Amino acid sequence: MRVLMLGWEFPPAKTGGLGTHCYELVKNLGLKNVSVNLLIPKRSTPNKHNLKNVEIEEIGSVPIMPYNSSKESTTTFEKGYGWNFFKEVEVFNKKCVEAAMKKNFDLIHCHDWITINAGMEIKKRTGKPLVFTVHSTEYDRTANIYPLSNIVEIEKRGVHEADVVITVSKQMKHQLIERYGADERKIKVIYNGINASNYFGLTVKQRKNIVLFLGRLTNQKGPYFFLNTAKEVLQKKNDITFVVAGQGEKLPELIKQSIGLGIADHVLFTGYLSEEEINYAYAMADVYVMPSVAEPYGITALEAVASGTPVIVSKNAGVAEEIKHCFKVDFWDTHEMANKILGILNYPVLGECMRNNCYKEIKNFGWERTANRTIEAYRGIA
Amino acid sequence: MTSICFYFQVHQPVRLNRFNMFNNGTPYFDELKNKGILEKVANKCYIPTNNILLNLIDESQGKFKVAFSLTGIFIEQCQRYAPQVIESFKQLADTGKVEFLSETYYHSLSALFSQKEFEEQIILHRNLINDLFGQKSDIFRNTEAMYSNSIAKTIENLGYKGIITEGHEKVLSWRSSNFLYRPVNCENIVTLLRNYKLSDDIGFRFSAKWWEGYPLTADKYAAWLSRCEGDCVNLFIDYETFGEHQWEDTGIFEFLRHLPNEVLKYDHLNFKTPSEVVKSYKPVGVIDVPGILSWADIDRDASAWLENDMQKFAFEQMIKLEEKIKQNPELLKIWRLLQTSDHFYYMCTKWFADGDVHKYFNPYDAPYDAFLNYMNILQDIKNRLGV
Repeated sequence: MRVLMLGWEFPPAKTGGLGTHCYELVKNLGLKNVSVNLLIPKRSTPNKHNLKNVEIEEIGSVPIMPYNSSKESTTTFEKGYGWNFFKEVEVFNKKCVEAAMKKNFDLIHCHDWITINAGMEIKKRTGKPLVFTVHSTEYDRTANIYPLSNIVEIEKRGVHEADVVITVSKQMKHQLIERYGADERKIKVIYNGINASNYFGLTVKQRKNIVLFLGRLTNQKGPYFFLNTAKEVLQKKNDITFVVAGQGEKLPELIKQSIGLGIADHVLFTGYLSEEEINYAYAMADVYVMPSVAEPYGITALEAVASGTPVIVSKNAGVAEEIKHCFKVDFWDTHEMANKILGILNYPVLGECMRNNCYKEIKNFGWERTANRTIEAYRGIA
Repeated sequence: MTSICFYFQVHQPVRLNRFNMFNNGTPYFDELKNKGILEKVANKCYIPTNNILLNLIDESQGKFKVAFSLTGIFIEQCQRYAPQVIESFKQLADTGKVEFLSETYYHSLSALFSQKEFEEQIILHRNLINDLFGQKSDIFRNTEAMYSNSIAKTIENLGYKGIITEGHEKVLSWRSSNFLYRPVNCENIVTLLRNYKLSDDIGFRFSAKWWEGYPLTADKYAAWLSRCEGDCVNLFIDYETFGEHQWEDTGIFEFLRHLPNEVLKYDHLNFKTPSEVVKSYKPVGVIDVPGILSWADIDRDASAWLENDMQKFAFEQMIKLEEKIKQNPELLKIWRLLQTSDHFYYMCTKWFADGDVHKYFNPYDAPYDAFLNYMNILQDIKNRLGV
């Protein structure tokens, strides 16, 4: 089977779960003798991956980095996205179509709205079936605050024109049915995975009372709730450090917020962390908190678990459908979140039981599973 | 002659409120939920099943008889939320064909940590049953049929003639549960062992379509009983089986209505209560149970309540308060309510991910929530005690 895959994030240049998903998916598909031709945007650093049965081709001339805009002042309309972003996406899609016309493949597989226009055009021209993986919708990424209607329209069209739609959770499936009127029968839920051997595993906890948030500093990830929770926790127990790891447009506001709450001396903003630093951060933390407002899956929760850290996740996160040995809270319920953080810090047995059991639980969550299910989805149409 | 011995366990825990570290002053117990559950089960199970039993005893002219064990906290909750249930049990007691067994008042794990506390709770329960039904049973059943050599000895010393536990191969090996046995090192007490296969045919498998016995009818079941060897077939079942675990539409009530008649068609079968069984038959051998035997899960030990580190920690923390709390009558009652085995059952992580029976009875999302909630309440009590 030959797959033409269109992605836009790929390690080391990645800002979220999609990059990890793409990399692990093509790697594992290749190992199972599915040949993959992956088209991705031009990179600032050339990629050096050598994956079996996988050919990676960089298209266009500019890197596409929607979340890490280099321009400081953005209009409301393009909030967060760089000035030329939409133009760049258009050029990328056009070039993908041109490149595709010279290739042989059995099906097209697109990831998120950034690539789906090209996918639909290629399908129209070649008649090949189209698979569309939706990692997040515009509603998720904006936490429902002013979703851009042009992106919503692209996503909706993609969901309708694709032959198979893959979602990373059941909640995403329901969202596509409700918001985009998607046909339930063609949606397949395929969960993300975790390569646990990349993380530190069940190391002994130093118990330095570190509570970790790690993610893009955007409304979607709920960092404000994390800081409000910190305030409540500190009222009961004050030898605690709250680490806010990651970068994003909300950083200045978050710093202001922590000062306003009078907890700035307990909050550490790390800014950008390398992959290695991230691994240490997960392992050092006594608890990882993911208070996302919208979270189609939430791979970071699995990464924390693979680092031997107990996790508290937002009830509406996709990952909460899968893991059971964790705490689940409503992202707005800072009271309860604080209660659970204190529970883990006050009662070592609680965190120990949780992390040991959850670590066992994710043993079966390898990316091989994701690849197998994706191949099943391919077989249904090609 | 083989005697069919029915005993039904009747229990409802007093469930805890969600007690957050921040909302001081929240009541410890979830009045609304406890009331709601009790009323629901009273209507679905206790009242209708009691009525059926009353009729059956009447129709069989006393040949059909059963035993109950009602926990003290079940009775208390009935008195508060559904007094008609107590009246209905009194009517059963008045037939003279219904026996009420002895157990710990709080359905507690006290046998596992304090002989003194264990005995105090037995006496509390004994007095309550005597007050309500005018009975003092010679038969003891410990929480979840938890049993060991030393528990048997304690119970013998309290003057009981029989003790109930599980009839499992791990203690019986090739021997049958359908006989009385003598606990090792005891002289005046015998064990009544649950025939778990036949009990679970009603309790667990009655409506299981995958089961080769399905559908279970009264005549079929009576025929199985008639082929049993031994002196007594002990059918020990959670009372909530009738109408609650097995809903009315499974035909469980019809099954019960017809069973006594079908059984009594066999000349070599009769019904006896546990104390009658103990009086009628002699022990045929000795059983030796150094560890804890129970009727729970496939492990049949105490691991459903005290296996993981959270359960052990919470249990130890609770136990530690014994001496101090006994000087404080108000908190003593609360502390005893925290001994109920169900609280520890909710913290069980065995098979949690598979969503088995533990989940069905669990008011919490996860064992971790159960643990934290319990600890928050215990901490609040400690603060009040000044510990």
